[in-house]
Amino acid sequence: MNNLFQPARGTLAPFFLLVALSITSMFIDQRFTYLETARASIASVISPLRYLVTLPSLSGAWVSEWFSTHNTLVEDNRQLREEERLLNARLQKMNVLLAENTRLRKLLGASRKLSDKVIVAELLSVDQNPYRQLIELNKGSLDGLLDGQAVLDDYGIMGQIIHVAHNSSTVKLISDPEHVIPVQFIHSGLRSVAFGNGSTDELELRFLPATAEIYIGDELVTSGLGGRFPADYPVATITEVSLDKTHGFKSAVARPKARLDSSREVLVIQSRESRQPNAQ
Amino acid sequence: MIQLNFLVIPLTLVLALTLQILPLPDWAQIYRPDWMALALIYWSMALPKRVGLWFAFVCGLLIDVAQGTLLGQHSLALVIIIFINLNLHQRIRVMSLAGQAGYVFVLLLINQTSVLWIEGMLHRNTPLMAFLGPPLIGMMIWPWVFILLRDLRRKAQLS
Repeated sequence: MNNLFQPARGTLAPFFLLVALSITSMFIDQRFTYLETARASIASVISPLRYLVTLPSLSGAWVSEWFSTHNTLVEDNRQLREEERLLNARLQKMNVLLAENTRLRKLLGASRKLSDKVIVAELLSVDQNPYRQLIELNKGSLDGLLDGQAVLDDYGIMGQIIHVAHNSSTVKLISDPEHVIPVQFIHSGLRSVAFGNGSTDELELRFLPATAEIYIGDELVTSGLGGRFPADYPVATITEVSLDKTHGFKSAVARPKARLDSSREVLVIQSRESRQPNAQ
Repeated sequence: MIQLNFLVIPLTLVLALTLQILPLPDWAQIYRPDWMALALIYWSMALPKRVGLWFAFVCGLLIDVAQGTLLGQHSLALVIIIFINLNLHQRIRVMSLAGQAGYVFVLLLINQTSVLWIEGMLHRNTPLMAFLGPPLIGMMIWPWVFILLRDLRRKAQLS
């Protein structure tokens, strides 16, 4: 029988100990990378839950596929064939260009690799912190994923991997308010960086030179500077340009090419080595 | 001997963690109540000798990993509110359900303030409804959480 008036365990000593422990671990987690292994092992423990909560939407998709009518399947098939023919036609041209490019590069003595090895991964529909732009992938260190690898969908760059567990990993999208991606304008060759601002359809470019020729519709690709993202992958299209007359700067808003909020399958670029996650 | 009944507590906490990461439509995400905090408040109030600060700390770490926040961000918040709860549990137990809900609202608000304060220090601003929403929803569902977990506790004969 419990004694009603015995003090419970809400005593001060463990309280202060745990508060201090929390604050220290937050500090270390923010500044250094020592806690990544701890995070990875905890993530591996809870990853069955992540797969569990993905089940309803997965089974929904499966059921709707199973019950889709003959007509829709025929229609889908026709569309896909058409698309394939188109892509094949483009690929022929592409092969010629590729061969030419390698030849020219050889002539120049340049050594940049033209194709990167990729791994296909799927999104787990897991809700993360609502104030950030993070997504969860169904592959992890067992499949060869590493911290800092670039993630893209079939339209453009989506983000980079920030935490890796055994069989899942966390991706920070380019629209995360903490994310900055080095970019280059295709037309003018101007280099800049694009900041995420927390909404999936906007990137911000700040402090561009007032004389820069930037127009709505300009395409941005990764510049490859910073060593995190491989060069020349599509990132975004400019949708808005404004001139700050008092400060003499231009700033622009761009719409990411990748479907940050609706892509289910993504590609992880493999040829990058792991870097320190703190280096943006 | 470890009582098998004791497993009820971790199981409800795992359920709370699952609810915490269950996908919701975008507009509803910022109103998601803090299930883990609600479950921990109940268990530390009902069984303060079994569920205490260490439970809160570990559960907080789990949430931090699940949601991609800093390791320790939710732990700190949960340790603070569970500490308050442990010191007040004898008074809160005898309150009416409505009174308890009001008290839970205050605890959840402290929890939320602590978490978002750290978010704010990292320069991520949050809308006002993201601040008030989860504690309000948490307050409204407290009576159901309370009755459910109490019946569960009685079934498992934990005291």
